[in-house]
Amino acid sequence: MNAIVESVNLQKTYMLGKVPVEALRGVNLKIEKGDFVAILGPSGSGKSTLLNLIGALDKPTSGTLLIDGVDVSKLNDNQLADLRRKVGFVFQFFNLIPRFAAIDNVELSMSIANISRSERKKHAEDMLETVGLKDRMKHKPAELSGGQQQRVAIARALANNPSFLLLDEPTGNIDSKTAHEVMEIIKKLNEKGVTIIMVTHDQHLAREAKRTVQMMDGVITSDEANHL
Amino acid sequence: MKARDIFGYSFSAIRLRKLRAGLTTLGVVIGIAAIVALLSITQGLQNTITGELQKGLATDTLIVTVGGGAFGGGQGDGGGFGGGFDGGGDSDFTLLVNDTQTIMDLSPGNITAALAVIQRSGNISSTETNRTTTIVGVDFTEYKSIYSSTFVAESGEIPDSPENNSVVIGKRVTDPRLNGTTLFSAGDTVTIFWLNSSVRPPVIENYTARVAAVLEEVGGFGFGGPSDTSIYIPIIQAQGFFATDQCDTIIVKLVNSEESTIDYVSEKIEKSEEFAGEVSVISSTAVVELLQSIISLISLFLVGIAAISLLVAGIGIMNIMIVSLIERTREIGILKALGMRSRTVLGIFLGESVIIGVIGATIGIVLGWGLANIVAILFGTGLFGGGMGGGQAAGGALTITPVLTPTVFLGAFGFGIGVSVIFALYPAWRASKLKPVEALRYE
Repeated sequence: MNAIVESVNLQKTYMLGKVPVEALRGVNLKIEKGDFVAILGPSGSGKSTLLNLIGALDKPTSGTLLIDGVDVSKLNDNQLADLRRKVGFVFQFFNLIPRFAAIDNVELSMSIANISRSERKKHAEDMLETVGLKDRMKHKPAELSGGQQQRVAIARALANNPSFLLLDEPTGNIDSKTAHEVMEIIKKLNEKGVTIIMVTHDQHLAREAKRTVQMMDGVITSDEANHL
Repeated sequence: MKARDIFGYSFSAIRLRKLRAGLTTLGVVIGIAAIVALLSITQGLQNTITGELQKGLATDTLIVTVGGGAFGGGQGDGGGFGGGFDGGGDSDFTLLVNDTQTIMDLSPGNITAALAVIQRSGNISSTETNRTTTIVGVDFTEYKSIYSSTFVAESGEIPDSPENNSVVIGKRVTDPRLNGTTLFSAGDTVTIFWLNSSVRPPVIENYTARVAAVLEEVGGFGFGGPSDTSIYIPIIQAQGFFATDQCDTIIVKLVNSEESTIDYVSEKIEKSEEFAGEVSVISSTAVVELLQSIISLISLFLVGIAAISLLVAGIGIMNIMIVSLIERTREIGILKALGMRSRTVLGIFLGESVIIGVIGATIGIVLGWGLANIVAILFGTGLFGGGMGGGQAAGGALTITPVLTPTVFLGAFGFGIGVSVIFALYPAWRASKLKPVEALRYE
């Protein structure tokens, strides 16, 4: 199997004023293509920092992080931006552009990736159909429920055929029924071969994944396969 | 991201806050409108004044007056520039009527005629009317030969060997508003007055004259040549009537209007033994050029003031952009998380400023042009006319046709966009430098 994400002794230290804070203290992790990994941990465990590094939003302080075989620490800002196009982000608070309709939000990520106007329109419709929102594609985020907004966010994350989906508390801001629907979509995507990396503090949600990585105080404390 | 998509994104951001964008654009509109209006009007004014000056202008003449750097000796205080710039100086030097011969002898090959002009303010009256005017004493024959196209009779005849009591009158003396009034006609007997203040107490001198001719309308300011607001008497009569052999100006007619001839003769007169340092020689074209440069300078000054308003607009743009940047920090974080490069974020913000600049400049140019035309119409109705051109304008308002040259058009357009972009550079740069992690965390 091909490793999509591979980290060796990954460390990240922030400066909180003049005080250094070690958010990651040597993380070793390997995620294969087609995997569905839940990164579980309490607040302050370093899971969000790890997510930012895997999403190429930030660079590690030391250690190695390979994403799709590319060493993130050696990339400049432009190369990091280009790498992020291969990552499908789904945020807890959806992070849709409020003035854009659902389809425009999905198209936005494709326009950033320089995909032609005609091609991206068709593809955006397909993506919204995948998440069951084709009939709501002209609606703006404010006209959609939380679950629908998260589904638009998933469609947007899928739009550029990413190497993997990176989900940050994807159901953290929606009700349990809708959360279940969203998880079903995510699981189906994984069944179709999409690699999923999900950060959560919810153990029930983590059990939906194939594998759970437990974090505490900036290190991985356990890495186990789930018995589905 | 493609340029079209960047502009599309910028436009959507502007549309979101229409009022704010509208007010920001208004700053550019006002600045550009002020610049365009001022430039169009001053250009129009320059054309008008130049045109008026060139009416009846003899380009092959020089005007010799007393005093270094003097400007004037124009034909009459009704003619706009006459008298006002006499310059003078403290010297006792005076030009005499027979200095014409001295001047002729300085460069006989280049000078065809030299004509002395004596002028005084005075009045012309009949039994029914009394008009203040400028009394100009000239040799009719010579004057006619120098200003063959403007010293032309509309009625009556300009005599070659005039009786001493002959008088030729300008068109506006008899018809001040050019509406068909006839205050004086050829053949009328009139009385000519002037206040002789060289004696104590001053005495009003007068004599009875006969109107030999009424001139055709000359138009313009009558610089250096016949004026519509003057009356002309033979030089001999002027010498006697004003009891003087001094003249105010000497008009020199050259063999041609080439610059080399003008320069040569001017220098010859100014540096001659007889006149050295005492007279100034100015050509008609030089006056026109001087005025053009003065108007250009005024224009530049006014545009400079207008440009300040555009500068204020630019600061407004910067202010709004910084506010927008703060408000949209999270949005920038999202865009960067989706893979947008810093350069593209910069492009989006600059795109917004370009759109504001283009809209502001376009509306500003249209508005400025409209304003210029309104001001021109107001000039046309005489609202501002009184101050421009003295006697001429008193009778009829100065007509200004605003001119919007391609340079002004493109310059204003470019300036509007340029100011918008320059002032957006800093906020755009700051937006582009936001770190995605921090921007996404921004509440």
